[in-house]
Amino acid sequence: MTAGVATPVALGTDSPPRRRARRREALAGWAFLSPALVLFLVFIAGPLAFAIFLSVHSWDLLTPREYVGLENFRRLFSDPLLPKALLNTFLFSLASVVTHVFGGLLLALAVNRPMNRFVSYFTRSAVFFPYLLSWAAVALLWKYVLDPTFGLVAYYLDKIGIDAPNWFVDPAWSLPAIIGIDFWYTIGFTFVIMLAGLQTVPSELVEAARTDGANRWQVFWHVTVPMMSPVLFFAVIITFIGAFQIFDPIQIITGGGPDDATMTIVMFLYQTGFQAFQIGYASAIAILVFVVIMAVTGLQFLVARKWVYER
Amino acid sequence: MSLRVDVDANDLLRPRERPRERRRRRRRPGAIAFDVLVLVVGLLMAAPLVWLFAASATEPGEAFTLPPKWLPSPFSTENYSRVLELMPFGRMALNSLIVAVISVGGSLLVAVLAAYAFSRLSFTGRDKMLVVMLSALMVPAQLTIIPVFVLMRNLNLVDTLTSLWLPALINVFAIFFLRQYFNSIPRELDEAARIDGAGHLWILFRMLVPLSGPALSALAILGFQASWNNYFGPLIFISSPEKMTLPLGLVTLQSGQGGAPAAVVFAAIAMVVAPVLVLFLAFQRNFVASVATAGLRG
Repeated sequence: MTAGVATPVALGTDSPPRRRARRREALAGWAFLSPALVLFLVFIAGPLAFAIFLSVHSWDLLTPREYVGLENFRRLFSDPLLPKALLNTFLFSLASVVTHVFGGLLLALAVNRPMNRFVSYFTRSAVFFPYLLSWAAVALLWKYVLDPTFGLVAYYLDKIGIDAPNWFVDPAWSLPAIIGIDFWYTIGFTFVIMLAGLQTVPSELVEAARTDGANRWQVFWHVTVPMMSPVLFFAVIITFIGAFQIFDPIQIITGGGPDDATMTIVMFLYQTGFQAFQIGYASAIAILVFVVIMAVTGLQFLVARKWVYER
Repeated sequence: MSLRVDVDANDLLRPRERPRERRRRRRRPGAIAFDVLVLVVGLLMAAPLVWLFAASATEPGEAFTLPPKWLPSPFSTENYSRVLELMPFGRMALNSLIVAVISVGGSLLVAVLAAYAFSRLSFTGRDKMLVVMLSALMVPAQLTIIPVFVLMRNLNLVDTLTSLWLPALINVFAIFFLRQYFNSIPRELDEAARIDGAGHLWILFRMLVPLSGPALSALAILGFQASWNNYFGPLIFISSPEKMTLPLGLVTLQSGQGGAPAAVVFAAIAMVVAPVLVLFLAFQRNFVASVATAGLRG
């Protein structure tokens, strides 16, 4: 995020016509910026400030707002649902980051070599395509795919002698099921990013390592991974931020159940704000989401300094 | 935060060419076994979708009999016609289209203007303004949705399509992405045009915009996809069926008033997935290139 360099002002040549030209340019600048600026204030900056304001109030949208200080936060930190929601969200995010980064890299490596053209094309397309769908279609489809009586998974697991769990009734299996569905849906993104990353690894470097007697495994660990580390880091950050806000499939399939086994932080926020209409309390949750994302992302940047290779 | 991946993204879906001399040689059995493994992965990924189309085009009573259907048998379009009876599918598709077109068109127009200011015009506070706007990329949608909901309620815009596209007009990522793109276009070009008497609007819309085709099309594809697939926004703002977009309509078909039979829901999902599949097969490279070059989505 580099800010542009301001045009240097020539000293001593600040004649009136020149000053007028500069003022005209500034005016044009603000005019071109104004639609974005107004929308930014109304839909991002304003709401951000208003959310902080709401978080210290108690409000149900109908009766007048009441200032309550930090009461919402106090209540939040003693709410038994919070640790549950945070734990589920972190578990989901961790599983999501690990499966996506490893899965994406593995898939990219698997197709990024000389191979049967049809197989390569078909698998690349099949892996990428689900990413273009909506969560609504994906979640509903998978609800049936995982159905214990007529679903695909139960039928074929049974064929190989495994008793499929009742995914969305058994609290132990609900979150893993959501993790699996999310993998199917979004792995295409990680896959494409990794594939692009693999193409940035200079082939001369790989060849040089091979001539020096390195085997494939050594080339992978000592050439490919370090050269790709910026891409790997980007994938970790993006997957984490997306995963931490997981909501759509939870709302569509489980509603946070069974027994709060899939209650995530954003589902908690949605129920508080848009079903119970506790606007102030929900705003406090929203601020917590923001702070956690910032903190974890910041932490990842600190860790990354050590091992991400900058060209 | 963004990452530009400077590769020929068009090549990402194209199978890698085998070196000439090697092609004649027999491939090792290990390599062939590996190809089979990759094929199995592809088949597993595609299986739910194949089942979706096969089962939804089967007679309602037979759709979910075991073993699972991989081809429609007996073939029937009844599930599809039931979808049209049970939900205003056409209306919802039109709503999705209206919202997506206005969101994408509007946000790109706003972004192009702002990017021009950030890239080509100098004024005090410009760079600070850019940093302030960029920091908004860190703000999750959940944080602003409650105040935006309150705002829409006060403006009497809840349960209108406007509530869906209006907040989407500001796309900070697009502003930044286009500013970077404009910065890569030589300034000598606008100076030459300026000498010929061109104004800012001419330089922007007759010169910079036509030169930014790849950036604009990547942003348009990603923006359209984000809008078309958006579920959270409509869930919060929309309640009447004739105002719903397809994702919310689908879920409502399944959960609303008793819920439609599974085979009908399947047909509805298939009707939502099919056009995306057709577009994907037709414009595959553009999709993949957009994701790879502008790969950033909320």
